[in-house]
Amino acid sequence: MSSQPAFATIGELAEQMRQGELSASSLVECFADRIKTLNPTSKAFISLDIDRARARAETLTIDSADSLLKGIPYACKDLFDVKGMVTSGGSRVLANNIAQHDAEAVTRMNQAGAIFIGKNNLHEFAYGATGENALYGTAPNPYDRSRLAGGSSSGSAAALGYGLCAAALGTDTGGSVRAPAALCGLVGFKPTFGRISTEGVIPYSWSLDHVSTLTRNAADATLLFNALANKVNPPATANLEGLRVGIPENFFFDRADPEILDSIDVLMNFLSDGGARLKPVTMPSMEHTRTVSLTVQMPEALSYHNRYLEQRGELYSQDFRAGLALGQCLLAEQYIRAKRFIESYRRDMDSVFEEIDLLITPATPVIAPKIGTVEVTVDGQTEPAGNAITRYTSFFNMTGHPAITLPCGMHSEGLPIAAQLIGKHHGDEELIATATLIESSYDFEVPLPVTN
Amino acid sequence: MKRLQKQTLLGIRDQFGSYAWDDAEIAELVDPQLGIITGFQELLDQLELLRKVDLGSIPPAADISIK
Repeated sequence: MSSQPAFATIGELAEQMRQGELSASSLVECFADRIKTLNPTSKAFISLDIDRARARAETLTIDSADSLLKGIPYACKDLFDVKGMVTSGGSRVLANNIAQHDAEAVTRMNQAGAIFIGKNNLHEFAYGATGENALYGTAPNPYDRSRLAGGSSSGSAAALGYGLCAAALGTDTGGSVRAPAALCGLVGFKPTFGRISTEGVIPYSWSLDHVSTLTRNAADATLLFNALANKVNPPATANLEGLRVGIPENFFFDRADPEILDSIDVLMNFLSDGGARLKPVTMPSMEHTRTVSLTVQMPEALSYHNRYLEQRGELYSQDFRAGLALGQCLLAEQYIRAKRFIESYRRDMDSVFEEIDLLITPATPVIAPKIGTVEVTVDGQTEPAGNAITRYTSFFNMTGHPAITLPCGMHSEGLPIAAQLIGKHHGDEELIATATLIESSYDFEVPLPVTN
Repeated sequence: MKRLQKQTLLGIRDQFGSYAWDDAEIAELVDPQLGIITGFQELLDQLELLRKVDLGSIPPAADISIK
């Protein structure tokens, strides 16, 4: 267990509260103090709700029958509505957009007793995986401030990474939770499409958006998922014996940092030693997947933002405007065709999952790039940094499969390496249970960042 | 397929009921100079390849049914 409450897991904090060693009020104060000190550096929070958090914490009494989330301070990406607060989307466009209601996910967290403390920075309207934001600054990686935390849920990852909250909600449209979690040594969980409501969350792309969670470990992800999911299945228990683990033969191990591949090898050996059966699987052709995703994303984004363009169009950042303009120039049949490709990917993956229980890939092909990096080159091929960060994650937003990224090693440059596990549709519980079993092995623990 | 022309996108903007994108933004889509956006022509080329793939009767993706 971490000696510092700011870096403790929810499970550890809940135990301390039940033992009378820690109160919700003292925990809120701990995070409030750290935010005051570290937010100028971390750029994790756009807005705070500390006074209401203090008031809520003071009224809480916690006993053994309560949800483990009771009294736990959490944050959310500033796409989620919180009644009475501005939902800015990280943009000048919505600087005065005060929410009238809580987002459904926020309501559920609050009903479980968690204490909301503030809203996190992000890539403007979730358009981009680098997390760069000209208005609120770019959240740096807690392990190396010269590097990106990743995005688009950059502030949510930084908030956990810098020890400013115990859990965070984000959105994941192509990897926007899993990738920053991976780059910052955290656990990012994207559930099956539709299992967590997106109501009250500013959309980026309706058919690809997933409300997702960032936590310190997979066990905590279970706690959040149980509070957030529309329907919770019976608890799952993981057993490596006989578990059929698919290893993609194409795409997912290509053009990756060798040290990342080495760490995934270690994880695969751990699974195999535990009795899992590793099975090479042929994935659908990935050749056009980014084209398909982009062809869905941009018209959907434009369709939502059309309501603001006429009056406040000049307030959008230049790059997002360019993306929206692109969305304007695609044909309807191209959009529909892209959606049909997505259906075909889903069917192909359903066939793949007939022979396996879960799939394993690296979370990202690269460690966190330096802030300001435009392109990265691996194995002689160059691509935009944002594309590289999400190269292994975005496919599963299209197929809608649950996916979790979890730390599995440290790179020689001092940055975390992470694996991604993908489960069957609605196999969320089994997926997180397997991730929890993996993290219970000390082999894959990563050191905490030095943030003070 | 012919290469995309600025005039085509100006026509969409002016004749299809579109938001009034600046001429410079349209020009950037056709011939990126600022590095703000890359590859619209490349995207169209890719989409042309996808157009030639026979998807049979596969419908557009919808929600994933809840068990």
